[in-house]
Amino acid sequence: MRLNPLTIKKIRRFRSIKRGYYAFLLLFLMILISLFSEAFINSRAMLVKYEGRFYFPIPGNMIPGATFGLDYDYETQYRELSKIFKAQDNGNWVLMPLVPFNPYENDLKDGQYPPFAPDFKNRHFLGTDNVGRDVLARLAYGFRTAIFFSLVLLVVNYAVGVSIGCAMGYFGGKFDLFFQRIIEIWSNVPFLYIVIILSSIMIPNFSMLIGIMAFFGWMGMTWTMRTLTYKEKAREYALAARALGATDTRIIFKHILPNTLSVIVTFAPFSVSSGIIALTSLDFLGFGLPPPTPSWGELLSQGWANMGAYWIVGSVIFAMTLTLLLVTFIGEAVREAFDPKLHTTYE
Amino acid sequence: MKTKNGSRRIFGILLLTLLILGGSVFLFSCGKEQENKTKEKSDAPLASKAPAKTTSMEKSPTAKLPEEIEWLTNDSDPVFGSPKAIKGGTLHETVLSFPMTLRLVGPDSNGSFAGVLRSNQLSLIGIHPNTLNIVPELATHWAYGKDKKTMYFKLNEKARWSDGQPVTANDYAYTLEFMRSKYIVAPWYNDYYTKEIDRVIVYDDYTLAVVGTKAEPDLYLKLGMAPTPRHFFGELNADFVKKYNWEIEPNTGPYQIEKFEKGKNLRLKRKQDWWAADLTYFKNRFNVDEVIFEVVRDTNIQWEYFKKARLDSFGMTIPQYWHEKSDTGVVNKGYVHKIWFYNDTQRSAQGLWLNQDREIFKDPDVRYAFAHAMNIEKVIEQVLRNDYERLESGFVGYGPYSNNTIRARRYDLEKVKELMTASGWHRGNDGIWEKGDQRFSVEVVYTVDEHTARLVVLKEEAKKAGVELNLQKLDASASFKKVLEKKHDVAWMGWSTSLRPQFWEHFHSINAHKPQTNNITNTDDPEMDKLIDAHRNSLDEKERITLSLKIQEKIHEIGCFVPTFMVPYVREGYWRWWRLPDVPGTKQTESLFDAFSSSTGGLFWYDKDLHDQTLSAMESGQTFDPVTRTDETYRMKP
Repeated sequence: MRLNPLTIKKIRRFRSIKRGYYAFLLLFLMILISLFSEAFINSRAMLVKYEGRFYFPIPGNMIPGATFGLDYDYETQYRELSKIFKAQDNGNWVLMPLVPFNPYENDLKDGQYPPFAPDFKNRHFLGTDNVGRDVLARLAYGFRTAIFFSLVLLVVNYAVGVSIGCAMGYFGGKFDLFFQRIIEIWSNVPFLYIVIILSSIMIPNFSMLIGIMAFFGWMGMTWTMRTLTYKEKAREYALAARALGATDTRIIFKHILPNTLSVIVTFAPFSVSSGIIALTSLDFLGFGLPPPTPSWGELLSQGWANMGAYWIVGSVIFAMTLTLLLVTFIGEAVREAFDPKLHTTYE
Repeated sequence: MKTKNGSRRIFGILLLTLLILGGSVFLFSCGKEQENKTKEKSDAPLASKAPAKTTSMEKSPTAKLPEEIEWLTNDSDPVFGSPKAIKGGTLHETVLSFPMTLRLVGPDSNGSFAGVLRSNQLSLIGIHPNTLNIVPELATHWAYGKDKKTMYFKLNEKARWSDGQPVTANDYAYTLEFMRSKYIVAPWYNDYYTKEIDRVIVYDDYTLAVVGTKAEPDLYLKLGMAPTPRHFFGELNADFVKKYNWEIEPNTGPYQIEKFEKGKNLRLKRKQDWWAADLTYFKNRFNVDEVIFEVVRDTNIQWEYFKKARLDSFGMTIPQYWHEKSDTGVVNKGYVHKIWFYNDTQRSAQGLWLNQDREIFKDPDVRYAFAHAMNIEKVIEQVLRNDYERLESGFVGYGPYSNNTIRARRYDLEKVKELMTASGWHRGNDGIWEKGDQRFSVEVVYTVDEHTARLVVLKEEAKKAGVELNLQKLDASASFKKVLEKKHDVAWMGWSTSLRPQFWEHFHSINAHKPQTNNITNTDDPEMDKLIDAHRNSLDEKERITLSLKIQEKIHEIGCFVPTFMVPYVREGYWRWWRLPDVPGTKQTESLFDAFSSSTGGLFWYDKDLHDQTLSAMESGQTFDPVTRTDETYRMKP
């Protein structure tokens, strides 16, 4: 793919803004790692050597305990297995991931009641929540859910918002007038109540929640896009394209849209952060993804209920602050990099 | 706020109408039958209604007491008030909100405060909280009619309303008139006193009979009604609801409202010359002179009030209060005592209810396997701090009616394996049982946020057994609707209780496979129907008990209900100047500092010396040994 020299210039400019660029790299890395969370944070072992054979339990089906000479048919408890092998000391071994817990399992103790404080010996680096689930594991898996939720939401929102906004600006007249009224009415539907009602009668899953939120979130972009399109439509190149006989679709998608892209891109990071906040607050209120899905909002509400367990509320607040900060830094840098004023400075 | 973890909140919502309005549990399911009954009645309206009319009047000249009548009374059951008790003192209590009205019936009269007001309205007879025998209240003697639907009562001639008027038979006839009036705007009472109570017959000022509409066992639970002061209400009219909103109605119990400030507080005073003070079962009870209710709109603030001694006792059944919050100065210094009191009452049938109309639960082996896959014990030990106990069946605490030989199925992976393989299932790639295109994966509907912690542990443990639980938390009404429409796989819920086990509504096939009935497991078993019908039609106590035990065995055999937890106790904290009897409560006690309940309340008393001693100790910084008292007198032994 050959990039437009202007775009290359913008990217170069973005890279020269260090804070935003490093924030971008860090966030990118976090997302990348989160994609492979299963390898780092899992109750399944990364590698088991048993009787001369190697097993890779993480991908694929569960391996029953009986495979490793244990007396049960359910999934092997690898942490236990590791201890057993060590005690037997006959060449078998288990390599556990860095955090040997999955986000759903309850690591409970006799005579003590969760939440348990951070404990490096048992590799609960951030402690456990109020039913003994590892906070780090839930945080990491929750991050993945949150970031992908907001990215998908962004795409859906922008796809709908940008096309309708563009069409309003481009066609104008009655079409514009009609959609303006529609959007005004739509914006006045109380989003939170609808979500509360919907999620009390059915259990929203990931895609349904995206659907519901996009249903009420697409209006944001329309106003901006409408204005931009009005402006671009009146430009000479748009008129020229029309004079050459280009279709409306072609003019919108080939000529106008690329020229408004900088604005869309500038908005995007901020939409990502608002998406994360929206999901977290819904989960916090108990109207988001159903339990026991790991989520930040759920951790936050647990932290709220167990203020004494500082590690819960501390971890999730730190993680949220970090993520939102990174996204905001990226947003700032993008805005600056795409700022057209740079190219039109006169001295 | 003396219930546990909000777990009873659901049951409250679920069966609010049923429970509060008088313990009749047939509302959903009995509609049809009652319709039939009214029809029968209307076929012969004159015959049955004519005497009813005369009874509302002063005295019926034609009414004559049957000759062969055997008067019964009871003054030989053990008393439970302490002879050490002395009168005096003021008990401070809090309520979350001020009552919306002081009326006992009609709109808004069923708030949380209604219990206080109603406790001070005695009935003809009461139930002894330990022996469950009948004890006298306003009546001294009672007798059963041969028709098995009539009871005769001799009234205590000393009984007085709080305004000094004598309580006469006429006031009972008036209850019927009152409760049937459309002016009280209380459809439930209108209905109940029409369809359940046929008439009241007045023989003289102190003798009467109450006639039910049908012959039935345990007649006394229904016919021991309360009087209503005719001289106070007189002729009712459309004005009733408004006029009596804030009127203080005369009562017959130990306390009467003295004054109140709307929205702020309400003060009840002990009657100095209460007519019933010397009755056998009221002796040494109702000791405190004054009870003040203050409105404090938040439980956390109520706790702060308690720590400052502005509140005398505090319910600590919730583990967080008992274990953590009570680890505080006033408790550790011994100023506040803690008590853990085991009671022995009907336990709510809490647990997992399996819908047998679902393909997967049609096989009894699969239902048993499901029960064996629920690690309730682990939840109790490691999440609930061993504070809860395992519920063994759906009908625990019903005295002789409970089948105490039944043991709930325990978590047992071997048994699951055995049962599932016997039914032709095998473990799939992810370890969950599979058979053809079926997978042992079921939805569990529940409503209370706090229960998530219990369910996630069950879910993880069930996975080991090869059963997948998908948790579905719904809002209470949505969940109840879903369950009543039988659209659930498994419902995580409990039912409210009544004095006798109710089988028909939950397990009779007549209520299966149709929406809006309480047979949420869709139990449809001819043998069960036979047992339940026999139980329903029997008027013989012994036979009913035998059948009740058999039915419970059958329920266990069907295996559509997995019992989970019970909380067989109350826990409270109280300032050390409050004293309790040696056995601090009764089998039926729900709160040790209930000042009013005619059956279980008012056992505690105030010790002024201890109060003064404590206050000066607090001032001088002197401390006492912390006290935590456990009483297991009535603890149910498995």
